[in-house]
Amino acid sequence: MPFQRQRVVAVEDLSLTVEPGQVYGLLGPNGSGKSTTMKIVLGLVAPTSGTTEIFGCDSSHVSSREQVGFLPENPYFYKFLTGLETLEFFGKLCGLCGAALRARARELLALVRLEDAADRRIGGYSKGMLQRIGLAQALIQEPRLLVLDEPTAGVDPAGSREIRDLILAFKERGITVLLCSHLLEQVQEICDRVGILHRGKLIREGKLDDLISIENQTELILENASPPLLARIREAVAAGGARVVDERRPKQNLERFFLDVTRGKS
Amino acid sequence: MSDAPRSPRPRGFFLSRVNAIAANTLLELVRQKVFYFMLLFAAIAMGVALLASGMPFIEQFQVLKDAALGAMSIFSWLLVTLATAMILPKDIEDRTLYTMLAKPVSRFEYLLGKLAGVMLLLLVAMGLMGLFFAGALFIREHLAIAEALRDYGDGPDGQAAVAAIRQAAFTPTLLAALALIFTKSAICAALTLLLSTFATSWIFTVMISVVVYIIGHVQPVAREYWLEQSGEAPSMLLRAFLGFVSLIFPDFQLYNIIDEIVVGNAVPLSMFVQAFGLGLGYVLVYTIVGYLFFSSREL
Repeated sequence: MPFQRQRVVAVEDLSLTVEPGQVYGLLGPNGSGKSTTMKIVLGLVAPTSGTTEIFGCDSSHVSSREQVGFLPENPYFYKFLTGLETLEFFGKLCGLCGAALRARARELLALVRLEDAADRRIGGYSKGMLQRIGLAQALIQEPRLLVLDEPTAGVDPAGSREIRDLILAFKERGITVLLCSHLLEQVQEICDRVGILHRGKLIREGKLDDLISIENQTELILENASPPLLARIREAVAAGGARVVDERRPKQNLERFFLDVTRGKS
Repeated sequence: MSDAPRSPRPRGFFLSRVNAIAANTLLELVRQKVFYFMLLFAAIAMGVALLASGMPFIEQFQVLKDAALGAMSIFSWLLVTLATAMILPKDIEDRTLYTMLAKPVSRFEYLLGKLAGVMLLLLVAMGLMGLFFAGALFIREHLAIAEALRDYGDGPDGQAAVAAIRQAAFTPTLLAALALIFTKSAICAALTLLLSTFATSWIFTVMISVVVYIIGHVQPVAREYWLEQSGEAPSMLLRAFLGFVSLIFPDFQLYNIIDEIVVGNAVPLSMFVQAFGLGLGYVLVYTIVGYLFFSSREL
């Protein structure tokens, strides 16, 4: 049919539970169904079959979103609004008003370190600032669940680390986080549990440690070990019936190195 | 997400959410400097006011009212059609729609807020154009009085001319004419919003909106021709088609009573009631149908 859109199965047989207080990472290549899953959770797309619940409330009901904060991928807000006006606008949509709303907006601007840009129009914000104001608006009504779609996409390493630290702070405050990201190193740092989607199907799911740890191997990191000591350890390993798989100097990761270098210059 | 108490039902924030979206829509359009085109209207009104001399006083005011109300009608229609056509596609393209609908905001509240924002914009625009129009009338009135006093002197003839000029300048029915223009533009705004709920581009929305605007103006004439003047008895199919067209497209000819107001003819109250009632009805129906499309649209 010339005017009929082709139907595509975006997500199939998906069943997962995110426990309160968990940081859950939804992973998968482009087009695997991550964003569609998030849209279904948020009630933006209705599933052909099946249900989703947020804290026991059907997520197709508007009321379920009272508990949810959402940061879309590459968020764009109204460019004509300032940072403060943006937060106030989204606060009003959540039923906040007056002095309480203004105080909450100021508090969040401080949290995401945008106090100095509060009265600047969003149109002049950098990518990192947009992500941070996006996080702030997602938190405006103190939600219990945060849904973050690529929260650090396109952000420089320092900004990315700031966002990661914020997510860890949310976790400490008991906020449940559902995020999807292509930055697997960051996911590994912050997520308790992950699900991997591929072509719309959940192919792996579980606690991060269980999924990536190698059961029959042990990592031992030594400091100031002399060559004779290393030789004795190798002998002991061989005598115990085990095998040294790899022996190398641990390296600082590039992100840590970059941050140290750039912080020293600034 | 499980193991947590059931979230409460949404509380009565309906109006506050609609208000927030409406105010934001108005602010967006104001900061996009859409009111700059008002300067063009002001130039037209003032130009006609200053140049409409050299004809009888009554005609001077008729020309001014005709030009100003005609320009107001076109400008307000252009403003609401273009502004409304871009609202929804822009929010979808920029993903601001996702962020808003991820808050406890229903699609109906969103749509209603957007429409209310455009109506506020229309109200402000009509108010500004009304002020320019009043200013132009005031200037024309004073110029005409000065001309009359120069021609007839300060005697009884001059005073009679001045009284006639004052009577011809401002008439209360002009306010009704402004309200009719507002109503007609409000129908166009609701129609454009309805179209944008299923259209895939704002250009398509504007084009169809323009077509419907034209149909709304010509359909009563076409209907009359087919039903009464074609010389043949209309078939059932033709009658059904004409009935359908007249039902879904508003009859904009009803709003031509503005022309009667311009020439100073008395207009029965029933015609005003019919025009305003029809406008309200179409705005309601278009908004509800728009919501039905929008509520099932995949974002």
